[in-house]
Amino acid sequence: MIYESSMLAIAVFAAFVGAVLALSFWLGSRAQSAGGYFAAHGRVGWFVNGIAFAGDYLSAASFLGICGMIAFFGYDGFLYSIGYLAGWIVAMFVIAEPVKRLGKYTLADALNSRFQSRGVKLVAAVATLVISLFYLVPQMVGAGALVKPLLGLPHWAGVTMVGTAVTIIVATAGMVSTTWVQFIKGTMLVAICAFVVALILDRGFTVPARAIRADETQSILKSPTGTIVNGAPLAPDNQLDSRLRAEHGTGFGSVAALPAGVTTTGPLGPIAYLETFAQSSITTWRKGTDAESGATTFTPVDRAGSELLLPGGSPTFKGVRDDRLVSKLDFLSLMLALFLGTASLPHILIRYYTVKDAAAARKSTVVGIAAIGIFYILTLYLGLGAMTSGALDPTDSNMAAPLLARTFGNGLFAVISAVAFTTVLGTVSGLIMAGAGAVAHDLLKDVFLLKLSDREQVRAGKIAAVGLGVIAIGLGVMFEKMNVTFLVGWAFNVAASANLPALVMLLFWARTTKQGIIASISVGLVSSLTWILLSADTLEKVYGYSATESLASSIVPFSQPAIVTVPLGFVVLVVVSLLTAQRNTAPG
Amino acid sequence: MKNIHARQSRRWLGPVLFVVYCVAYLAFVLGAAFTTFRDGKPVGGLARAAVGGVNLAVVAGMLLIVGAFILALLYAMFGARAHDEPEYDGAPKDDSQ
Repeated sequence: MIYESSMLAIAVFAAFVGAVLALSFWLGSRAQSAGGYFAAHGRVGWFVNGIAFAGDYLSAASFLGICGMIAFFGYDGFLYSIGYLAGWIVAMFVIAEPVKRLGKYTLADALNSRFQSRGVKLVAAVATLVISLFYLVPQMVGAGALVKPLLGLPHWAGVTMVGTAVTIIVATAGMVSTTWVQFIKGTMLVAICAFVVALILDRGFTVPARAIRADETQSILKSPTGTIVNGAPLAPDNQLDSRLRAEHGTGFGSVAALPAGVTTTGPLGPIAYLETFAQSSITTWRKGTDAESGATTFTPVDRAGSELLLPGGSPTFKGVRDDRLVSKLDFLSLMLALFLGTASLPHILIRYYTVKDAAAARKSTVVGIAAIGIFYILTLYLGLGAMTSGALDPTDSNMAAPLLARTFGNGLFAVISAVAFTTVLGTVSGLIMAGAGAVAHDLLKDVFLLKLSDREQVRAGKIAAVGLGVIAIGLGVMFEKMNVTFLVGWAFNVAASANLPALVMLLFWARTTKQGIIASISVGLVSSLTWILLSADTLEKVYGYSATESLASSIVPFSQPAIVTVPLGFVVLVVVSLLTAQRNTAPG
Repeated sequence: MKNIHARQSRRWLGPVLFVVYCVAYLAFVLGAAFTTFRDGKPVGGLARAAVGGVNLAVVAGMLLIVGAFILALLYAMFGARAHDEPEYDGAPKDDSQ
């Protein structure tokens, strides 16, 4: 699709980013010490911290990826919403308060609190860096996806802009500016999404004047000489949805039939909206490939709304509808990773160091759960609204939410795109902050034993932030075409496998040894990464194998590793701790 | 003595609420995986109608999200104070400090 930039969108976007950067420079003077730079002096109020949790956590994957997944496949995107939110229960009841009590600036501080071991610091810091980089990829991909329609710039330009802006934010005032950026972003994201959902409910559903027939396949062929759409060169008046709009008055994603044969519903309440959707027929688009030309084709398929509100419609969760046990294990494994991954994400855990005590940590978690929960309920309406908006880009699921906003006018499109862009800024700044802390505080100071003054530690953190920003830009360009939610699922798998067994056993099993912690993190990290890299999903979506080749070549039975690698981490920790307990207590 | 019992019961509130939520989440996930489809067709489980034609998959998902907030709030209001209060050892308190 060709996206035209809007001056209003550019103005809103520029004002927003300018304000955020000005705030960062203004706050820069408050973050001269290590305590200020890495933990905002531990003086952030619990309410601000709670909303900042939402700003940190509600990433591009949540906003763009989940909305896109629901818009394309129905209920499956909502499964991510449920899993992501459920993970906060683990954070609230198991991890939050002990981590606050044990740590200082980083996750490695908490894990090493009983041992004072360079080995624990090293593996914890490496795990933090790997998880943060894994999580960075989808955020940067989301940034590129946003800038295309907003500014009319290519993907790489968006990735570079986000990378540069975030690096400036983190390098100027560290956790102080990161906290305020995340607070502003969290507030605006939830408020704007609630507003868009109100508009969706007010609009209700409408059936296009002329029904789309099952044989109206649309096609797009990209070649070195140019892009061909439906047999003619791509042009402003020949885009993928141009023919549909001319003949049916709607683009991709529409209602085929409403209950009782009505053609429009008018405004609907939240429950009536879901009821009406469940009783309607929806025109979805099946992606395929033309055998002769090799063009990508999109064929209309009318599906019952009730079927779209069930799990298993997307490639990621299709195992739910498969009777084979191995397919179901893939689904169970991903849901386990989402449940356990939240409380293992370094960029979330370091936010507990920005408040003064355990009580404030707890209160801020409650505020965070409230804001995040409201947002995730809204995602279902945003996704279904996009699915029936006639504004989908079938080549890019990440664009569903901004394109939905455009159906309500360019002003809202500009605002929501700018908010979405800030969404990326907030999460990426948290990730780079976690990585910078791991490099400067854990690796340089505690592992390599460099004698760094307070100011030198801050300077090292800033240099690390710049380096991580550059790496993030490179990864964001490389992984342009992947659905961002899918990528985040991997990050949760790795985080849960590497960090959770060590954190839980450190807190609740007195016989845990430093060797057990080191072995558990190392095995969890390596095994989950290896599993993911050898999975059929990776072979297909990263290495470019066909679906059949991927299944034949993969040596792991399913793609999501957590159901194997998390228990493995616990077992390794227990065995190694038992084996080394005597050595640690032996005299001398 | 009454205060000690109250504090001890509050200490259990967090783990109990955590187990309650884990069971609910597990039931939802297992329900989706094993009872909703047979041969790719919806046969029951989460496909059953729950509230006014909206299926159990949507309703249960919403309840899990809202339920997480309610449990967290209950813990913050009633359970967590036990962890913040110092253990009372029976000695008279020195109010001068």
